[in-house]
Amino acid sequence: MKKTSFFDKAGTRSVLASLVAILIGMLAGGVVILAVGLTNPALGLSGAWEGIRLVVGGLFATGRTASGQLTFGFNPASFGNMLFRAVPLIMTGLSVALGNKAGLFNIGAPGQYLAGTAASLYVALSVPTNVVPSWLVWFVALLAGMLAGALWGSIPGLLKAYLNINEVLACIMTNWISANLVTWIFDISNLKNMLEGTKSGYIYKTSTIMNDVIIDGVRQTVGAAVPEGAQVVATRGGVATGKMGLDQLFSGSQVNAGILVAILIAVVIYILLAKTTLGYQLKACGANRYAARYAGIQDRRNIVLTMALAGALAAAGGALYYLSGNTEFFWNTYQSLPGEGFNGIPVALLAINNPLGVVFSAVFMSMLQICGQKLTELTAYNEYITNVIIAVIVYLSAFMLVIKTWIGKLRSRKAVDK
Amino acid sequence: MDHENDFVIEMLHITKEFPGIKANDDITLQLRRGEIHALLGENGAGKSTLMSVLFGLYQPEQGEIRKDGKPVKINNPNDATALHIGMVHQHFKLIEVFTVLDNIILGAEDTKLGFVQRKEARKKVEELSKRYGLAVDLDAKVENITVGMQQRVEILKMLYRDNEILIFDEPTAVLTPQEIVELMQIMKGLAREGKSILFISHKLNEIMEVSDRVSVLRKGRYIGTVNTKDTTAVELSRMMVGHDVQLVVDKAPAQPGETVLKVTDLHVASRLYKHDAVKGVSFEVRKGEIVCIAGIDGNGQSELVFGLSGLEKCTGGKIELGGVDITHAPIRKRSEAGVSHIPEDRHKHGLVLDFTLEQNMVLQAFEEPRFAHMGFIRFGEVRKYAERLIEEYDVRSGQGPITMARSMSGGNQQKAIIAREIDRDLPLLLAVQPTRGLDVGAIENIHKQIVAQRDEGKAVLLVSLELDEVMNLSDRILVMYEGEIVGELDPKETTVEELGLYMAGAKRQDRKKEARA
Repeated sequence: MKKTSFFDKAGTRSVLASLVAILIGMLAGGVVILAVGLTNPALGLSGAWEGIRLVVGGLFATGRTASGQLTFGFNPASFGNMLFRAVPLIMTGLSVALGNKAGLFNIGAPGQYLAGTAASLYVALSVPTNVVPSWLVWFVALLAGMLAGALWGSIPGLLKAYLNINEVLACIMTNWISANLVTWIFDISNLKNMLEGTKSGYIYKTSTIMNDVIIDGVRQTVGAAVPEGAQVVATRGGVATGKMGLDQLFSGSQVNAGILVAILIAVVIYILLAKTTLGYQLKACGANRYAARYAGIQDRRNIVLTMALAGALAAAGGALYYLSGNTEFFWNTYQSLPGEGFNGIPVALLAINNPLGVVFSAVFMSMLQICGQKLTELTAYNEYITNVIIAVIVYLSAFMLVIKTWIGKLRSRKAVDK
Repeated sequence: MDHENDFVIEMLHITKEFPGIKANDDITLQLRRGEIHALLGENGAGKSTLMSVLFGLYQPEQGEIRKDGKPVKINNPNDATALHIGMVHQHFKLIEVFTVLDNIILGAEDTKLGFVQRKEARKKVEELSKRYGLAVDLDAKVENITVGMQQRVEILKMLYRDNEILIFDEPTAVLTPQEIVELMQIMKGLAREGKSILFISHKLNEIMEVSDRVSVLRKGRYIGTVNTKDTTAVELSRMMVGHDVQLVVDKAPAQPGETVLKVTDLHVASRLYKHDAVKGVSFEVRKGEIVCIAGIDGNGQSELVFGLSGLEKCTGGKIELGGVDITHAPIRKRSEAGVSHIPEDRHKHGLVLDFTLEQNMVLQAFEEPRFAHMGFIRFGEVRKYAERLIEEYDVRSGQGPITMARSMSGGNQQKAIIAREIDRDLPLLLAVQPTRGLDVGAIENIHKQIVAQRDEGKAVLLVSLELDEVMNLSDRILVMYEGEIVGELDPKETTVEELGLYMAGAKRQDRKKEARA
């Protein structure tokens, strides 16, 4: 057997294909910036040049000098926020990637993400932390979120396995059911933020300290400061993901240990798919359901299991994002689905469904978000320009196989030339 | 007429490499004007690759193609069409819901102001149809006509485009014996009219019957070209395989032991229609015998095996394996109880095509302790096992255990499945058309393996559509007709003709009465 060279390996080619997609996406973004800049008198050519520099290097933007020049350098806040925002993308990306490996298109990640968000917020804000230690509440809240997501994901799984209903249709419907259900649950709950006057559209941050007190025989919820003469029945809240020193590394950012949890889960999913008998079964079902059935693999059970696992992963994304303690959830969500859920699809596509690749593509996507933010902050551009880049990359992801063969042809042509 | 050196197409010193394998290694093929030239070779010998090169689907690394003595460059199928090269593929490329006429003119239709001019096209097709004796119903939809007529439509498609060089890729694989005879006549007629024909096949008797010359390929190499009238089937098979081939299986009389499989009044539903495809079938298979289910395709054989293997639910009756009732057991349980199964459709059921060869070798066994520990796959053991099977059963592939199943030739895919199923060493072997689409060398090999299994004391239930295989291999024949077993025959006493009568439903035994007697 001939030893294949580095560039002939399928893995290398996949990575190269992804990089080509990113490159073309960036180029397309540059063209859009140029076009917008040249047609907008407020921006002009110099404004366009600034925009291009920010799209490519926005992560390193630190602001402007007194004379109005853009400055670049290591920006710990941007780095930290990039990692923080990558967490939900990693999880939904893993969710979609796992489904794809097993031959199921999990477009239900937004609904599962919401289910996980709701369940974990409910647990984190309802369990009295004067009785149960807050780290345990955090952990139980994460598990509760994943369980809720698993249950939510298994609905389309069951419909597919036993009634042969297309999982894409079932997922889209369960997404909206989830959005409405979550809105309704929080609407009748006592978790709406009533302590800050303008925030009743949001759920409390999990780090908020709430005291359930009895004042003059009436039970009510107050903040951390307990009025005199009030009898404290229970203390809730104060739950937040640990920082593990990451906040010092990236000062001024929202980053916490959630990114480490997400990476750990990605490694676990990688091992599950690559090394275990369960992963073998799931992939066999995905690649050829009939052959799997012929071999005695229970394809129906595996479909439900895959969807439940995918649901748990997407839900963990929501749970980790909102358990951070510095994010608040807009509960009146029945008319919209979270973008993190859908963005799992491009993340997984760009990573060609490799769980470890998902980590990198999620970080990349979240970097683009930071760049967009910087565009809005520092120039007259709108951050949505980065969505153009993402859109082009997603579009090219569909051509990944073409790009791969194209790279292969380039290689073999070189070989002939030699 | 002397056409010794009047070559219409020459492929000179063609070499085409794929990762890990030289599919064509310095192959030369010269097609004379007006001859029928057979291209003979085992599965994976490089016939399809060579034709793909001629058709512009692949670019050879070395070599030259000449048309009428002039070098030409064929970069894509359009170039091939422009050179008047046409091909009838093994799997027809027809649109089922279009009429025959529309299928023939599709892609080459004359239009006036955007409207298709069917009248002139019809005239031309009718003329061609009469001239070459290709009877078709131009207004019938393709989905309603027989396979034989579909093939004639494909031939008319080539003629309509004024092709001079006609390639037939294993054209007889899908035809009934009568249709094969007709096709042979048609091919001879085409050659008489000056068309040059390349006939790809591994069926020796057809090649002997119809071709003028034969070129033989083996493992990507060119072995030689001979005049058909100067050679014999035995010599051709030796050229193709590289050693002497026994065309008849050599086996000792069966010594059946105790019953392994007992089927009583089994009913299995049909997937397509709302009735039973298997209607009350009863039989036994004993240790050390090969029982063959014969019949014309579609008489319930496939469903019977689905019922036995658990791929389809039984709607009635009883299946016992070694005395244990497995009628309603799931597939995994049956497999553990002792059923191995060489499936009819190797791409749908037999293999996960996007898995590697080694992954496919453990499709059922991956959870057994020898291949898994605490839920983790023991990759080293899987590799060792796959390497042993590849070696023992001579499964050839480009990159050994890590070859993608999809990239292997059909014959070697089948060998891999047979290796896997036989090596599981279970008391009952269900083999459904185990040699379908394979060449004589591979068939001989597989027949030997099946007989060896019998001699080791396995019970073998063979389902076959090939009469030769039925007569050659089986110890007992059960004939299925419309979901029932209509006769039990002894291959040593019966004839192909008698078998045919049972298969066609013209004759039947009352087995229940006999069983009571």
